[in-house]
Amino acid sequence: MESSDAALVTSVLHGDVNAYGALVSRYRDRYARYAVHMLGNREDAEEALQDAFTRAYRSLARCEEPERFGAWLFRILVNRCRTSGARRVRRGQTFVYDEGALMKASQEHPAERTMWREEIERALGELSADQREAFLLKYVEDLGYDEMAEITGVGVSALKMRVMRACDRLRTLLREVHNG
Amino acid sequence: MGEWGRTTLELIVEELRQPVRLDESFERRVMVRVRRLYAQRRRHGVGGWLGGFTRVTYHPGWAAALAASVVAMVTLGVMRSRPAGVATVSPREPVQFVLVRPDARSVAVVGDFNDWGLNDTALVATNHQGVWSVTAPVPAGVHRYAFVVNGKEWVTDPNAPRSAGDDFGLPSSALVVEDSTK
Amino acid sequence: MNSRPARGLVTLALVSAALAQASAQDPRIMPRLDAPSRAAITALVDSARAQGLPVEPLMEKVYEGMGKGADGPRIVAAVRSLTLEMASAHRALGTVASADEIKAAASAMHAGVPAVELGKMKKQSGLRRSLTLPFTVLADLVSRGVPVEAGVNAIKSLVGAGAKDADLNKFQRNVSGDIDQGAPPAAAAETRAKAVPATKPEDDG
Repeated sequence: MESSDAALVTSVLHGDVNAYGALVSRYRDRYARYAVHMLGNREDAEEALQDAFTRAYRSLARCEEPERFGAWLFRILVNRCRTSGARRVRRGQTFVYDEGALMKASQEHPAERTMWREEIERALGELSADQREAFLLKYVEDLGYDEMAEITGVGVSALKMRVMRACDRLRTLLREVHNG
Repeated sequence: MGEWGRTTLELIVEELRQPVRLDESFERRVMVRVRRLYAQRRRHGVGGWLGGFTRVTYHPGWAAALAASVVAMVTLGVMRSRPAGVATVSPREPVQFVLVRPDARSVAVVGDFNDWGLNDTALVATNHQGVWSVTAPVPAGVHRYAFVVNGKEWVTDPNAPRSAGDDFGLPSSALVVEDSTK
Repeated sequence: MNSRPARGLVTLALVSAALAQASAQDPRIMPRLDAPSRAAITALVDSARAQGLPVEPLMEKVYEGMGKGADGPRIVAAVRSLTLEMASAHRALGTVASADEIKAAASAMHAGVPAVELGKMKKQSGLRRSLTLPFTVLADLVSRGVPVEAGVNAIKSLVGAGAKDADLNKFQRNVSGDIDQGAPPAAAAETRAKAVPATKPEDDG
């Protein structure tokens, strides 16, 4: 049976450093997606995620709800991505999707799919960091506004505004691409 | 493009929700960093059973921080559950140890926070007309300690709880230090 | 006072020199223990780690034994006893217990408090309330002669009423003072427990 987050955290705090490997394995891919989209390239995303895991380990004793380790780690990652500086889009290196999913998609519409992905990524890069963060948290990570407010420290109404503006901007940018 | 029958937003979200995979070397790289931290902490005596020495030094400011004559328990707010162990960096809190022994020639404090005096880490108390005291930073957590009078007599703190446990025939006192940063 | 402490302190001086050159594997004490004791302690620590128990208290016990002049087999026995007590405490308290709580619970068990009682207290108190100090005070009460049941009831009622750690400290000092003055331990604990005012959760700070 898979150990709970709380059990793994407890093991780590009691000296079992390998238990942390299980937590890294559990959240590695789940949170890589956010970092990749937020930062725009794989290298910066991996660096941010590594830092987040390291910071979480260093502060593990302050994780007050070990059963919610994942949420706590995500907060650290979101903060880390914010301080990561400007988004650097490196075309051709941006997407690190699951190979199986990609294979299927590529077989269906290989060229269109690749182009579409690149345009989305470019459009994301056009958003302000605040808007991109709000959009990704709301629509890609599927968080509620209360959760987003907890993570970002920003009020719900401000977050709603950012999401709305991000959506409008993305629609405009991607329609332009499509139509143009 | 027929897919435009769906909203643009739906299409964007669908694409962005595609899983992302990092290769296994990522995990290895993280764990290299983590193990390095783990090793550093053990070397600095933060935890781990092969931890290094921690020499306790006296800082005059701490004495003023605690006015109580005997501070066997440091309780600064409601104590929270604080998992401890290798990854724990326990903050140190100033604790004043006091023993009234007008007849003593010397008084030292030994406990698990200074490896029971191993490597000359015993805390040496100063004499104020028979009231011996020393203030030292002690990591947050639960500790066992005792006074050593005249270099040979082990004495528990009369104002602190007794510590139950195998004490090798020489009783110890219990000390619970709260983390004031929480 | 027997001669062991003096011998222990003399040993410490000798140990210090050896420790300065100790290997990375055995920085503090292992070179001073005989080989069978060293092997036994290593095995006990490994076993504790495998069970998810905090291992630092075990090493602290080794240092304590050395500081107090105990020989290798005596130290091994103490470490083994502590390992068993912490394992029982860990099972009783569950994975949410902190290392300090496990350590304090082991102490209470050594004094005679059944693990099951400690587990019930943990369950009743919830995750937020650390029971490190309540367990420590309970161990003290029982070691001073307060019957286990009376001690458990007193601590339960105090924690249940929202007593702060400062209240528990005061309670412990009062009970020990009463006992020192000749009061029956059970009566002292029961009477003093009634004197601690109930605290509303919002007053806890």
